[in-house]
Formats: sequence, structure tokens, C-alpha cells
Amino acid sequence: MSDFSIRTISADEHAAYIAAQPAASFLQTPGWAAVKSEWKAESLGWYDPANPAVLVGAGLVLYRQMPKVKRYLAYLPEGPVIDWDAIDLGQYLRPLAGHLSEAGAFGIRMGPPVATRRWTAKTIKDAIAGGQQPRLGDVRPDVIEPSGATVADQLRKLGWKPPRLAEGFAAGQPQYVFQVPLAGRSQDDLLKGMNQLWRRNIKKADKAGVEVSQGGPEDIKAFHQLYVETAQRDHFTPRPLPYFEKMYAAMANQPAGCCDFRIYNAHHEGDLVASTIWVRVGGHSWYSYGASSTAKRDVRGSNAIQWRMMSDALAAGASVYDLRGITDTLDPNDPHVGLIQFKTGTGGEAVEYVGEWDLPLNKALYTAFDLYMRRR
Amino acid sequence: MPLVLHVDSDRWRDHLRSTWNADIVPVAKGNGYGFGNHRLLAEARALGARTVAVGTYFEVPAEPREDIVVLSPWRPFLEVPQSRNVIHTVSRLADLVSIPAGSRVLIEVMTSMRRHGIGARELRHTMLLNALDRIRFEGWSLHFPMGAGGTSANLREAQQLAQAALDVRKSTLWVSHVPAQKLADIGDDVKLRMGTGLWLGDRGALTVRATVLDVHSVRRGERVGYRQRRVSGDGHILIVSGGTAHGVGLEAPTAAATVRQRAIAMAKGSLDAAGMALSPFTIEGKQRWFAEPPHMQASMLFLPSAVAPPAVGDEIDLDVRYTTTNFDKVSMD
Repeated sequence: MSDFSIRTISADEHAAYIAAQPAASFLQTPGWAAVKSEWKAESLGWYDPANPAVLVGAGLVLYRQMPKVKRYLAYLPEGPVIDWDAIDLGQYLRPLAGHLSEAGAFGIRMGPPVATRRWTAKTIKDAIAGGQQPRLGDVRPDVIEPSGATVADQLRKLGWKPPRLAEGFAAGQPQYVFQVPLAGRSQDDLLKGMNQLWRRNIKKADKAGVEVSQGGPEDIKAFHQLYVETAQRDHFTPRPLPYFEKMYAAMANQPAGCCDFRIYNAHHEGDLVASTIWVRVGGHSWYSYGASSTAKRDVRGSNAIQWRMMSDALAAGASVYDLRGITDTLDPNDPHVGLIQFKTGTGGEAVEYVGEWDLPLNKALYTAFDLYMRRR
Repeated sequence: MPLVLHVDSDRWRDHLRSTWNADIVPVAKGNGYGFGNHRLLAEARALGARTVAVGTYFEVPAEPREDIVVLSPWRPFLEVPQSRNVIHTVSRLADLVSIPAGSRVLIEVMTSMRRHGIGARELRHTMLLNALDRIRFEGWSLHFPMGAGGTSANLREAQQLAQAALDVRKSTLWVSHVPAQKLADIGDDVKLRMGTGLWLGDRGALTVRATVLDVHSVRRGERVGYRQRRVSGDGHILIVSGGTAHGVGLEAPTAAATVRQRAIAMAKGSLDAAGMALSPFTIEGKQRWFAEPPHMQASMLFLPSAVAPPAVGDEIDLDVRYTTTNFDKVSMD
């Protein structure tokens, strides 16, 4: 099999290709380049030289400059969007390396959207209660995805370096996420899958009169205020308001309608008690950012807004509702376990992805960069 | 034969009754302050206490009739009694998430003690706020340092921390080592945990006595004991009940707070180094020297010839720490 060709494509071409796919990460939509405006970006398309008009793959590349040199790490977050089940991934990846090398990259980092293993909520709950396996990766999975091993095996053969195991949240995109499968399920099925506490809280919010509504760009300011309040409470560094304004402008108005980007608000008697960002690309929907008020916790705005987002994802025809990253700790002594337990309550499953893989193009510069990243 | 704690029960119970009120939670833990936890639980019940605090999960009685607060923090690896009367203390965010839903919980707030607790800056953490909804929240727990003028400082700290906690969720405050008459200054719903101040608050009601088991006259330089040391003068060797099994001669590290206390400790230390140790046993109003380190259930004392020796079967007084001594018997006189 001969390799595909690769070329720079326009945002319109890129968006049209994404829109025609069953699913893709929102980090691979052309709009994401505008969100990460401090990095140079490029849309790439793969095609068969015999049929140049038809794309067979697309990728968003973010060029992250190395300190002091005009060389870049080429980063394809949760991408590229290619046929990962291909017999020979080299058809895509060899031309990618050639192109990026010419563009001045000393290395490539990518996150194939390929799942390797899955664990059901029940399995996770039992593992935490048992306390015998402090790492999710050590627990016997409920599903082993055949493509995961095949892809990892091919990448190794093509010279890519597997992800380093990191504690907590790694620098890049999470290797473990939590997802609620929606395909073939009704709202009732979703409720039945949740644990008692989630169901009780959804009811409670309803009784208390919490109202969830879809917002617009004018709601970003209020979202951000609540998000800063959440950040102060939980001691993380909040991103500034312009980041979200830029995100809304770039993500919500993409060509070919390739990305459905929404803000949701939960109000109780006129007070904003929760506010979130929801994204959908094809059949994949995400809860991306969330914030909740310190006051009026008892009206359970967070549960109400999650339920609405999940229901709307179902109504929009999504097959997955993705609550994004979890750390892989099941150690009941680790505070991170709280996150996995909150998400586990939705009755979904933890999914392990193959993680982020690197291809060094310039050994010396790549090694220097790797050291720099590890020392940060 | 035995080492006995004699309690002037009328006087002791008068003190209990005048000290206890409905805002005070009796503490029964460890060796039961010398009385044994079982007796303390019964006395607390007689006082009318509806809630009692114990130290660890091992000390929770089999089928508790009253609410039992466990002071040691809940940990995921502990075996926990399933009774609905048990109130847990949670001191870490992760545990708030791990503890079974519906558990009765006090959330401990970190104080200047720095022992257990969730830091004041974490009190508004989303995990904590969400947990308040999945547990049966029984209040905030605050454990302060003791003594050394600490009480007024404790009071200030208690007021600040209590305010911070109550701003998160209004509930009962459970405190230790705060003067009972100052509770109203901290908040309007405050419970005071009390152990030493309650059970050992009137030392005059308590006497500890050992029995003289044997008396032998000795001459200076004669060898005695397991270790065959020479005695330092003419006199008597007394064998008295009370040894290492009772905790005699095994002092908990003392917290010498003042220069004078440290000086005494140093002097005692140098005596220890010289192989001489003062025993807790008093005869004719004076503490007497150990002839050698205490045995498991008895001790050998040296009594100089200037003092008339007691007879076998006599009782002698001794001064021990109630919290580190296992008495053979508690006699309610």
C-alpha cells in the first residue's frame, strides 16, 4: 500500500471533513486553533494522489515553540482524525512526519482517539470499596478494545514513543476519561443507570424549582464569575475571562456547523447556582467546563445542569456523553478519588485511551524539550 | 495483694454532677482514666448523658444505647461498627467522599494542634460542600491544644474557626479544651468533650494504694534482686504490689513545660543514669527509692533503717498517672 499525500487545507475544507465524520474531538475542529491563538496552527488533509479532491483524513496541528530556538513541537490534541483501524497507519503517519519536519518541527505529539479498555461504574465502585487496587489500570477491565493494542503495536513499530505514566493529571490530554454511553438508550434508561444519590439530587433540584436553560455569548461573564468562585474554593488557577470569550466566539461559529458549542445556566429563584460549557461534534458530546455557587448547595444545581446536558446530548443524537478526565487513582486516601466517584454516580464507564505518543524528529532538541517538560 | 484505686464515691459523684450539664459530652477512652471505660459509660448514663465520646472504633460498646462519637478519624482501611448510634469523625476531603452515604459524620477542622482535620482554606471545597449532602452531618469538631495559657488563645482560635465553619454550614460545634463557662462565646450550639476535667477533676476523691507483700531487713552492701545490686545502706527491702504490668515505673514522656520542671526532669535523669530511681510509692510521707527496676507485678523498694517498716498486708500510698495505670481493682468506697 502506498502512502497518502498530505497538504495544508482551509478551515472550510477542514470543518466540512469533520462534519462528515461520525465523531471527532472538539480539539480537532479548526476553531480550536483560534482558542489556542498563542500557538501557530495548521489544518492538514490527507488524500489519495489518484483522487486529490477527496480527503481521507484531517488533523489540526498546533505548533508549540521551543524556548530560544525557532523550532516547534507539533501537537495534534486528541487527533488526528484518520482511520485508526487502517492496516498500515504508516500510510498516514509517514507523510505527516515528513510534512511537519519540513515545517520546522523537532518532534510530534499526538493523541489517537483510540480506546483501549473500559470499566463499568460497578467495577470501579467495587474496586474503591475493596481498596486492593490503588490504580484503575490494575483493575480487571470489563471490555478490552481490540483496536487499542493493534494501534499501540503499530505506533511502536513506526518509531513513536508511548506515553509516560504520570500521577494526577498529565500535562496533555487525559488518558483516562469518564463517559456515559447514550446509543440506544432512553432518558429513563439513563436515570436507571445512575446511583441513588444522583437520582435523588436530580429530583431534589426539580422540587426546589431549579431552572436550567441554554445561554448565549452574553452569559460568558456570569459563567466566568462562578468559575472563579469555584477555583477559589478548590484552589486551582482559573483561566482569564478573555480565554472563554475567545473560545465561545471561535467554537460556536465554525464552518459547516461542525461543532455544537453551548453554555448552560441553572438558576434558582433568580440566582445562578451552576453554569457549564457543553460541546458536541458528531456523535460525541462533552461536559467541558463547570462551575457552581458556594451558596444554595442544597438545591443541587450541579446535578440538575448535568442531567439537562445529558438529556440534550441524547436529543441531539449523540452516542456518548463525555465527562472528560479522571485520574487513574482508586486509592481511597487520595482526594482525587472524589472526582471519579462523582462521575461514577452517572452510571457510565471509565475509558482508557492509548494516550499521547511522541515522535522525535530531531533527537537532541526532542531530548532537551522532554527534560524541560519534566522539570517544569 | 492488689494495686487498688479507691474512690470516695459520694464525693466523686458530687463532682460529676456539679460539672456535667447537657452541653458536655463525657469522654471514655484508653484505660478509662483508671476507672475502665465500661464503668465510665455507666456513670455517664447515670448522669443523663445522651452522647458519649470514645477514642477509637475498638472502644465502641457492642450495642450502644446512646450516641457514640468516635474521636479518631475515620479511615477507609478501618473496620467500623455498623451501629446507627456511631458518629464518625472525618478529617480529610477524600474520606468525605469515601465514607458510606448516610453515615453520621462530624467534620474535624484543623486547629493549631495540627493533628487531624481539614484545613480552614479547604472548608469551601466543592467536595466538602457536595459531601454535606450525602452524609448525615452532625457538626464541626475542633480539638485545641491544652494549658500553658492556651485557653484564651484557644478561645480566639475557636471563635475564628467556628465562624469559618458555621459560614459553610450552620450546625453544632464540638470542642475540646475550652473552659466550660466560655462555650457561649464561641457559638450558640456548642458541645464540650470532657474527659480529665470530668473523671479526674476532683483528685481528692481518689486514692491509690498498694499492698506490702514482703519485708526483709538488709545490711549495707548486700546483693538483692534480679540484678544483684548492692544496697546503699542498712534498712529494709519491701516487696509491694504494682509493677510494669500496671504501668508502674513506665512513665509516659512528660511534657516539662517550665524551667523548674525541666530542671527536676534533668536531676531525675541524672539519678536514673546513676542507677537510682525514685519510686511512686510513699512511706511516712516520702517517696521511696526503687531497689531495682520494677518487676512485672511487684516492685522492690529500699527503706533506710531510720524508718520503721510497714507490716506485710499493710497498704501504702502511691502517686501514679491515672491514664497510664491499670489498677487491679477500682473500689467504690
